[in-house]
Amino acid sequence: MANLMVVDNKNHLNLKVDSSKAEQHGAKLNLIPAVMSEFINIAVQYPLVITKHAESGQFVFAAMLGFEMGENLFWRDEQWQGLYLPLQIRRQPFFVSNADKNSEKGDYVICFDSESPTISQENGQALFDENGNDSDYFQQAKSCLAQLLRGEADNKHLLAHLEKMDLLQVMKMEITFANQQTTTLNGLYTIDQEKLAQLSAENIATLHRDGLLQAIYTLITSLGQMHQLIDLKNKKLGC
Amino acid sequence: MSKLTKAVVVVGGGIAGWLTAGRLAAKHQSHKKNSVKVTLIESANIPTVGVGEGTWPTMRNTLKALGISETDFIKECDASFKQGAKFAKWCNGKPDDFYYHPLVLPQGFGKTDMAAHWLAKQALFDQENRSSFSDEVCYQEAICEKGLAPKTIRTPEFSDVANYAYHLDSAKFAIFLQKHCLDKLGITHIVDDVVSVNSVENDNDSEKGDIHSVSTQNNGDITGDLFVDCTGFSSLLLGKHYGIPFKSCSDVLFIDTALAVQVPYDNDETDIASHTISTGQEAGWIWDIGLQHRRGVGYVYSSKHSTEEEARAVLADYVGDKFSSLKVRKIPIVSGHREKLWHKNCVAIGLSAGFLEPLEASALVMVELAAQMVSEQLPQSRDVMDVVAKRFNETALYRWQKIIDFLKLHYILSERTEPFWVDNRESATIPQSLQELMQLWQYRAPADHDFTSNNEVFPAASYQYVLYGMGFKSDYGHTPYVLDDIDIAENQFKQNKKLIDTALSSLPSNRELINKIKEFGFSRL
Repeated sequence: MANLMVVDNKNHLNLKVDSSKAEQHGAKLNLIPAVMSEFINIAVQYPLVITKHAESGQFVFAAMLGFEMGENLFWRDEQWQGLYLPLQIRRQPFFVSNADKNSEKGDYVICFDSESPTISQENGQALFDENGNDSDYFQQAKSCLAQLLRGEADNKHLLAHLEKMDLLQVMKMEITFANQQTTTLNGLYTIDQEKLAQLSAENIATLHRDGLLQAIYTLITSLGQMHQLIDLKNKKLGC
Repeated sequence: MSKLTKAVVVVGGGIAGWLTAGRLAAKHQSHKKNSVKVTLIESANIPTVGVGEGTWPTMRNTLKALGISETDFIKECDASFKQGAKFAKWCNGKPDDFYYHPLVLPQGFGKTDMAAHWLAKQALFDQENRSSFSDEVCYQEAICEKGLAPKTIRTPEFSDVANYAYHLDSAKFAIFLQKHCLDKLGITHIVDDVVSVNSVENDNDSEKGDIHSVSTQNNGDITGDLFVDCTGFSSLLLGKHYGIPFKSCSDVLFIDTALAVQVPYDNDETDIASHTISTGQEAGWIWDIGLQHRRGVGYVYSSKHSTEEEARAVLADYVGDKFSSLKVRKIPIVSGHREKLWHKNCVAIGLSAGFLEPLEASALVMVELAAQMVSEQLPQSRDVMDVVAKRFNETALYRWQKIIDFLKLHYILSERTEPFWVDNRESATIPQSLQELMQLWQYRAPADHDFTSNNEVFPAASYQYVLYGMGFKSDYGHTPYVLDDIDIAENQFKQNKKLIDTALSSLPSNRELINKIKEFGFSRL
């Protein structure tokens, strides 16, 4: 369970972070939230799907890494075996939080998860120099968080258009693995290609102008990675 | 050439009027040129009655057919989820006396005779260890007892995890429907008083006696090919103009008065019951319906068995401390319906057609079913209208009779000893059709073949829930082989327990879900 604390340069002057351990946060995740700016990096290896947030029911984009809860087929031998580590994992142990919960002004504070395996007093990189100034490492971590924040706005923008243009559909998939075990994918959504093909010139122009068209095609193309995911599962099953 | 149906005039603008006009306009694309024109005339001076705060699951399809978003509906109409009814103190009036009529079919229904197996199982246990039919065969009772919602925020709009209907604020619903119909469906709206009804003048045989137009105070004569009477209890067209008699059923259903109050919640976080609670009282019963911002509570009773003063005391006792500060509304109830619902080119929908006591929330569903039938079977021309009318009447009268039977069923098995309940068991007050069914059910459970119409309002499952909930025992002594497939039944009982566990661990509370809908909304997918 995450235990979030606000980072400050007095209490955490000696805090160190071993970023090589960040990937452990993804060891047991079969779906990892993704932002639009990383779609292409994700699509190189993982299927991108759309699912619903458990608390809000709102659509979210996610990299798919396994077929059941807790299964990450790219986690083997205590290591992340994929080429690209999604931002949502790479950002660990840092989180962004609203400075004032009641205001939406956009003042943020940076928190860290004190329970994260990356936290250390000995190994890893310091957040501050002896004068309390941000280290290069902490600067990088901040830019990663900034990318995530911007990504949330991008995602919202993309989803609003997908819903408005009625481009989402339920993803129905029944998969039989090599050992004859079958699984039905539930609660996943993707782009409705037929409706995309019938989109008016005006709507296509809107998507292009807003820089969303590429993301839409990346979502579609990434589904080809489903075959690789099935392969990995078959290997895991020993078939 | 017979006259084509090009213009429908709906008189009256309550929920019945707007639902009917909406379904007609949506089905016949009234917003387009050359389609059927739908006009709704409503008086600014006549307040709507606003009965019915409980719906059936059918309302989900009705809203969908009108192109309404479920999120908007829930936000605007103070609506919450209803997963059936809990009947408390109907059997013997003791504190632990209750059963459910849930909206989900019994587990294993149609696979084996679950009622027979349940009855056999109960016979093996002591009184204390017995469990109710509704709890043993349906996971919805457990959901309701815990105040949980029938779905999660991830479930698409109008879809469910457990079957559900709504509780709603009927005044807000009427306004919401009106706005949707006017914004989206191309209905012509006239706010005016109808002062007279004018018959067709020429003596053309088929149209003789038809309504030609209604005259309004300020907008002249409004002509139409079909007139829908949604004028409420006044039944302006069917009752007053045509004189179609009202058929009372007060000899069967004794309730004739309601005292209603609106009870505010203690605070914003108070639980919202996700079922109607109906509690038996000396001379009737109390409804208790949880909306988002308040409860609607009312005592419906028979004035032959209780004075108004006594009734107020019963209601005050139920509501508790808050009662003294609440405004009590008295509503007369005349149970019954018109002998005919469609006459010439006029059809009555809503209170103008009839009304029964609010048990099992039949008011709105009868409006929905009638509005759907009129919109789907709208006669294309005058020469087929009489055929449609005849069939509509047969179906509607059958439904009224079936609802009367089903409502009466709730009363006849009670062991309560107050005069109201004793009189209700008098065989002269029980319709012949219900008596015959009760004879059959002495030896077996209600089954689909007991109900022969494809327009059945209550399925056999509903009769099972009420019958066995009230403690009735069908005697399978002559047909013990019915129990041979006990393995299947045991499996279904187990399956039901599993479904209860899954539901209880995955569903949010009714209040929690409503808060989330207000914040995030449902998605269509």
